[in-house]
Amino acid sequence: MKKLSCYSGSFWLGLGATLLTAQLAMASGQSLLDKIKGATEPVDNTKIESAYTLTAKTVQAEETYQGGTFRVLARKDKITRYRCSVCHTDKKVLVKNGALYTHSDIAINHGKGQNKLECIQCHDEKNRDVLSDAAGTKIDFDHSYKLCGQCHFRQKRDWLGGAHGKRETYWAGERVIRNCTSCHNPHSPAFKTKMPETYSLPLDD
Amino acid sequence: MKDNKIDKSDPPENGRTRRSFLKGLSIAAAAGSAGLVTGGCTGEVASEEMGLKWEEYFKKNYRLMSQKEKDETVERLVKLAKIRVGVDIQMSNQAPINNVLYGYAFNISRCKGYMDCVEACVQENNLDRKSKTQYIRLFEMEPGKLDPSTGDGKYHHEVPVEDKFYMGVQCFHCENAPCIKACPTKATWREPDGIVVVDYDWCIGCRYCLAACPYWGRRFNWGEPQVPAEEINLKQHYLGNRMRMKGVMEKCTFCVQRTRQGKLPACANACPTGSRIFGNLLDPDSEIRFVLKTKKVFRFKEELGTDPKFWYFMD
Repeated sequence: MKKLSCYSGSFWLGLGATLLTAQLAMASGQSLLDKIKGATEPVDNTKIESAYTLTAKTVQAEETYQGGTFRVLARKDKITRYRCSVCHTDKKVLVKNGALYTHSDIAINHGKGQNKLECIQCHDEKNRDVLSDAAGTKIDFDHSYKLCGQCHFRQKRDWLGGAHGKRETYWAGERVIRNCTSCHNPHSPAFKTKMPETYSLPLDD
Repeated sequence: MKDNKIDKSDPPENGRTRRSFLKGLSIAAAAGSAGLVTGGCTGEVASEEMGLKWEEYFKKNYRLMSQKEKDETVERLVKLAKIRVGVDIQMSNQAPINNVLYGYAFNISRCKGYMDCVEACVQENNLDRKSKTQYIRLFEMEPGKLDPSTGDGKYHHEVPVEDKFYMGVQCFHCENAPCIKACPTKATWREPDGIVVVDYDWCIGCRYCLAACPYWGRRFNWGEPQVPAEEINLKQHYLGNRMRMKGVMEKCTFCVQRTRQGKLPACANACPTGSRIFGNLLDPDSEIRFVLKTKKVFRFKEELGTDPKFWYFMD
């Protein structure tokens, strides 16, 4: 009797071990992470057929990401009073137009305390139709990411790679992503607080 | 893994099968009886509806259908929607794209809890307005807590709040999904592009999958889903946002009707903060792969071995 139970015990142990190893082998063969790691060949996303009807205007970015060139949403056509040089001339300004011409509607809330930015730290002092960075390099409004990136370099690195910001409408096709200023107001870049759209029930409800 | 596949060599394609015999018989019977009861012009419409319904009743599981049969059922469903609700829907049965495996990443340090994603999902997927069905749940979380069951989803104040973070939960489209194994009718399965879908016409409403899902990712239709006719999203997919019926299970499909056309899911598209990253896991240059490579990522209940294709990450 004792011998029998000993035999059966080792039998069950053996069976258990076999099943366990079989399961482990199956899991490692089918692992999602292995599958992802194994996919190293670049995929040509532009071959994915779909109706590409992006109504937004885009421009070719002047930088590249891991997949090559990409496009960003254009900005100049969104700026209400572009071109700036229409007003910014040598002509004298009438007092009654003063409030409009001095951009009194813009409040700068960018940078904290002592480091609060001033207009000309981003806008070019001479040519009002462009921006300029700390080194004095002129930057087009459509490529403002080059300017933002001089301070926010971590965000820019993530934005180039795809962990910050977002793609416009399509995950496939030629990469079109939003410009920094598509989402952030450059004069007050922090997101505003607002009421939530709806509410959620608890998980187990 | 193997038991999820349905043997295609089984049904005899030549000659009359039991199914096709019953189908023919029932259509004739339906047409006859409908004609007798009503008669005249309305009778024609009614019998057409009856015929369509009967053919729908005797169709195969979606995975066993040939392309022709898929096209036919979609055509019938479009006609039925016109008769029943009076809307002209466009329904697709678009197949998965080759060499694509969808993956999702959610940035818990960027989400501000606006819940635009939840609302966009409801609109896109024709979710029941009456019972307020939602695929996505979003919780306000205490710092340090990473379990969404400890979060509060019913916050009613301006967001974001200092020292809180926000975490969204939905179907994670597990590679090793427990819900699929639990289904007794094989009405739910994982598509080759990784999306876990439901054939609503094969679901018997037993809710085993709901019990099996450790993430509370599935929703059940206790009643007939109510969507105002003018709010119905007309761009539909057979496996996606087509109108569900009473007593069937439904869930997030990564917006299959959008994503297979190269578009972002409605939630990712609606997010104003860029917290939702979606893309092809098999493309080493994609955004989702960049997140997996460079960020601290984790998955919810990873220890269960369900292999979700949904990661949380921090900046």
